[in-house]
Amino acid sequence: MNTAFSSNLRKQTLRSGMLLGTVSAMFFGTALAAQDTLVVGRSMDVNSLDPARAFCDTCQIYLTAVYEPLITLGADNQTLEPKLATSWSNNDDFTEFTFNLNPDAVFSDGSPVEASDVVWTFERLRNLKGSPSFLMDGTKSIEAIDAHTVKVTVDAPNSEFLNKVSAPYTGIVNAEAAMAGGAIGDETAATADGAEGWFLENSVGSGPFTLSKYAPEDELRLARNDSYYGPAPAFGEVVITQIQDSVSQAQALETGSIDIAMQIDADTAKSINNPDVTTSIVASFNFVYFAFMPGSEAMKDKLTPNVREALTLAVDYDGMLEFTVGGNGNKIAAPIPNGFPGTANLTPRSQDVEKSKAMLAEAGLGDGFEMEAVYPNDNVYGVDLNIMMQKLQQDFAQVGVEVKLKPVTYPVWREDMASGSADLTAVYYAPDYFGSGQYAAYFAMTPGSTWVKRAGYKSPETVVNEKEGEIYAAALAASGDQSVAKYEELAKEMMADNIIIPLVSPNLVLAYRSDITGVRYSACCNLPLAEIARK
Amino acid sequence: MSAAGEPARVGPGRAGRLLQFLDRLPVTGKIGIVVLLFWLITVLTVQLWPIADPLMMAGRRLQPPSGANWLGTDALGRDVLSRTLHGAAYTIPVAFMVVVSAVIIGSSVGAAAGYLGGWTDAVIMRAADVTLSFPPILLAMTVAATLGPGLPNAGLAMVIVWWPIYARLMRAQVLEVRTREHVEAAIAGGAGKTRVLVVHILPLCWTPTLINATMDFGQVALLAASLSFIGLGAVPPSPEWGSMISEGAAKFYSWWIAFGPGMAILSVVLATSFLGDGLRDLFDRRGPK
Amino acid sequence: MLRYIIRRMLGVPFLLLGVASVAFILSQSTKGDPLSALVPERMMNNPEIVNAVKAQWGLDQPLPVRYVVYMKNLVQGDMGTSFNTRRPIARDIADRLPATLELVAAAMIIGTTLGMGIGLLSARFRYSIFDNAARGFALLGSSVPIFWSGLIMLYIFSVQLKWTPGTGRLDARTTPPEGGTGFYTIDALLAGDWPLFVEAASHLALPAFVLGWSVIGIVARLVRSSLLDALGQDYVRTARAKGASERVVLINHALRNALIPVLTVLGFTFAYLITGAVLTEAIFSWPGIGSYAVAAARSLDYPAIGGVTIVGATAFLLANLATDIAYAWANPRIKVGG
Repeated sequence: MNTAFSSNLRKQTLRSGMLLGTVSAMFFGTALAAQDTLVVGRSMDVNSLDPARAFCDTCQIYLTAVYEPLITLGADNQTLEPKLATSWSNNDDFTEFTFNLNPDAVFSDGSPVEASDVVWTFERLRNLKGSPSFLMDGTKSIEAIDAHTVKVTVDAPNSEFLNKVSAPYTGIVNAEAAMAGGAIGDETAATADGAEGWFLENSVGSGPFTLSKYAPEDELRLARNDSYYGPAPAFGEVVITQIQDSVSQAQALETGSIDIAMQIDADTAKSINNPDVTTSIVASFNFVYFAFMPGSEAMKDKLTPNVREALTLAVDYDGMLEFTVGGNGNKIAAPIPNGFPGTANLTPRSQDVEKSKAMLAEAGLGDGFEMEAVYPNDNVYGVDLNIMMQKLQQDFAQVGVEVKLKPVTYPVWREDMASGSADLTAVYYAPDYFGSGQYAAYFAMTPGSTWVKRAGYKSPETVVNEKEGEIYAAALAASGDQSVAKYEELAKEMMADNIIIPLVSPNLVLAYRSDITGVRYSACCNLPLAEIARK
Repeated sequence: MSAAGEPARVGPGRAGRLLQFLDRLPVTGKIGIVVLLFWLITVLTVQLWPIADPLMMAGRRLQPPSGANWLGTDALGRDVLSRTLHGAAYTIPVAFMVVVSAVIIGSSVGAAAGYLGGWTDAVIMRAADVTLSFPPILLAMTVAATLGPGLPNAGLAMVIVWWPIYARLMRAQVLEVRTREHVEAAIAGGAGKTRVLVVHILPLCWTPTLINATMDFGQVALLAASLSFIGLGAVPPSPEWGSMISEGAAKFYSWWIAFGPGMAILSVVLATSFLGDGLRDLFDRRGPK
Repeated sequence: MLRYIIRRMLGVPFLLLGVASVAFILSQSTKGDPLSALVPERMMNNPEIVNAVKAQWGLDQPLPVRYVVYMKNLVQGDMGTSFNTRRPIARDIADRLPATLELVAAAMIIGTTLGMGIGLLSARFRYSIFDNAARGFALLGSSVPIFWSGLIMLYIFSVQLKWTPGTGRLDARTTPPEGGTGFYTIDALLAGDWPLFVEAASHLALPAFVLGWSVIGIVARLVRSSLLDALGQDYVRTARAKGASERVVLINHALRNALIPVLTVLGFTFAYLITGAVLTEAIFSWPGIGSYAVAAARSLDYPAIGGVTIVGATAFLLANLATDIAYAWANPRIKVGG
């Protein structure tokens, strides 16, 4: 019938017209937009955008781009280089540090960066008692000597203070602008400051980018800071977009909808063979570990040092590398990352099942026993903690020890850690700055430390190692080779403790589009955005 | 009735009658029964089968399907087919327990509401309404998050989600049946309340419940897998189907890891769907009892 | 009938109260330390900080007091502050609601049109190969776990065939349209921005299809059976006797009467889709309420869990109410729920 035919023809023409229009629009549209925006895909773990509260991996990237610390870490991930401070000095016993500020540095609103801002920032960081506040532990006084000179005095020698000040968490904040937004820096800060929400929408730093928009668990948008006093970054806009898992990130990278994927694991990386995508594997300073809790209710008197040693001998370390990261990682001896001061001469543990069984039999546990492992149900740095613990379960089964696995959410995990109900746990650690002291502060069995409380629970004296506190203090009072030697001594003590057993230091897979340059992994700052450009 | 001297009638016994009844199901319904029987037998006997240990390595990790491992290996080198078969022992019993509990609890409560009326009815129905106001997955997620991970907790969460449906179903049936003549006759004859309910009313009310329960079995299995997928259900290294798919999603280029459990869940849901449809057709044809 | 509608609607505030109370109680009894999200670990032994945080977040009051405060705030639209995002939950949900609504609406359109199409053709050509294949397709959609089918579709259509773009609502480089509705597709159209519309629609296509596939079965089955019922009616036989073609009979006579039950099921499918949206959003990184709920449940962000549950339950409740009313209107003799 005529009418049916012509109406069909019309429909077909319309449809092909739409198709053509669609294809050309998509091509045209995306071609234009691709120029000026860098898109980074990762699973965002942002807890806050307030520089004195933010404490996460994505926060490191954000804070580095938007705020600047006095000192930064060079591309070799070891040397300290000037940032807001052009030069610095310290006294012989590492108790006084003086910084000279760059007179040209200005904040994003044009106002100059002055010593008073540094003083305010550091005091707020210390007084707010947030997660990164430990970086300012022990500071006795922070003074502005003049408009461009700051002097910090600490109450005990600390040769690592300069490294601490390179952490992005110490980025300098525009004091006036922040106070106008409701931030408080004095001693009342912990209870009186209410600027957390304000910082979700405003950034007041001196860095090459500013905050443009933040949608939690969705995206974080940064815009180029046009008042930046240094060389302008290549991109006018950077978007950090939420993509939960490794496989989706790989897919997005392959289709070009993101330029950089930050959490692709080694297995997935192997299956990408696309000339438009470059993957490079670098060693990282992160590690994943498991820990014994000899003070738990069930393990009282059972997990003696000998038994712990026996159990560490049961672990198949090579197999663990294979299973968790497909071989893309390194073994690690002490809970201090490979490449950090004091680790050069350490030997990682190795497996010896026979000896393990013998030692257990000697301790009267030849028939084995049961343990309960409570750990966060998470996938970090390419390691699925569930997979890792299942492998550990298999290894311990060989010597007769049965491990019951209980993956939980982080809040539950923290509660269980504080209540002595877990015998074994597993978690990860990433450095906040380049320096071994932070590991001593966190992992050493010094009285009152976090891990002594967890591992020892009601009987901390069974796990405390007094020597470690002394060695750590000595390390902080020394510098150069001497302090390295002290850290090595400390590392060996921690290994002998057999409480914290690091398993894998996963390599980092850097995955990015082949037309992107300047991508590097930084031990302090994770991913410095300003250095990235498109060819 | 048989008078003395006539030969006793030989007819099929109860089992025979059941088989005859089932024979009248459409083909799809019969397929459903076969599949469910397969899984039931698997659950009961899989421990004895000569297949790989679901918890230990059976080959190199992430190997595609091959002669040695018919569905390949997962990220820890475990045989996927074996894990899928063993996984039945987690999902199926849980789904069964959840459905049975929901039916028992829901039906009792619903019968009481329908029969006793008044305040009992009002309170029970309001509670059911409130529970039914929650999207099942949100309610299950919230309860499971409250109780903590683990399949038993997820099961409890699902019972809480499911009981109102059976309460409503049973209540509607009871309301309808109780107006019938034989019930009034029983009451007039002086039977006690409980006797009337149990002997005269309830036996006629179970048809919709049975049909619904059959189809819900698959839906519960699906929800259990969904909860495990999110991380609120089964705990590793249990080879529960939902958490296997979750592991498979993380290693998506190794498609076989999720294939086994995915097909398993699908087969259960389809089987219960077919069977439920078949039962409904059958009972409809025979007319309401 | 009117009395029934009024009675049902009067019950709504009561139900909402019940829902909110249950949500509150559940979220208060979560295992795990709510303080862990608020107080940095190193400060947990500092009683001054801990008490200050408790006071700030109202965690130091007894349960009944917290309940009253919670209800009072809720009525004013304040659902508390999320532990995770540190923003008012009402704001988080308002930001994310349009994304979920857009997804659910698109899925409903796909599900009902495809469902009706399949149901119609199945009734017309009953017992043919097409009938069986189509019904098999529909059944598959509602039986396969949505988190599995989503992954498979993503892999096939996005990675291998590259017919659809990746996850999310838009390319990360694109600025979302300023809009009244929050539906990127509609806002882009209203702004006359065709490329933006295409981009938003192409991102929406796959998740909406995956989600819609799960309800095609319900709709198809209902359309098919009510059409078959209608086709057996007297007035249809009369039309046939008068010589009308099968096609005319189907469309002019049977369809109109068969559509009524379909309307009743729309509410039911909407409710069903809300459930499926939770998992779909997780797979496709869709920034809606579903993925928010999953993140909240995983991290025990108990105020957010409560907030999402209330919002979800409200939508569910209203959808069920609409269904029941539509059903009662279509079948005045039947009363649902009593």
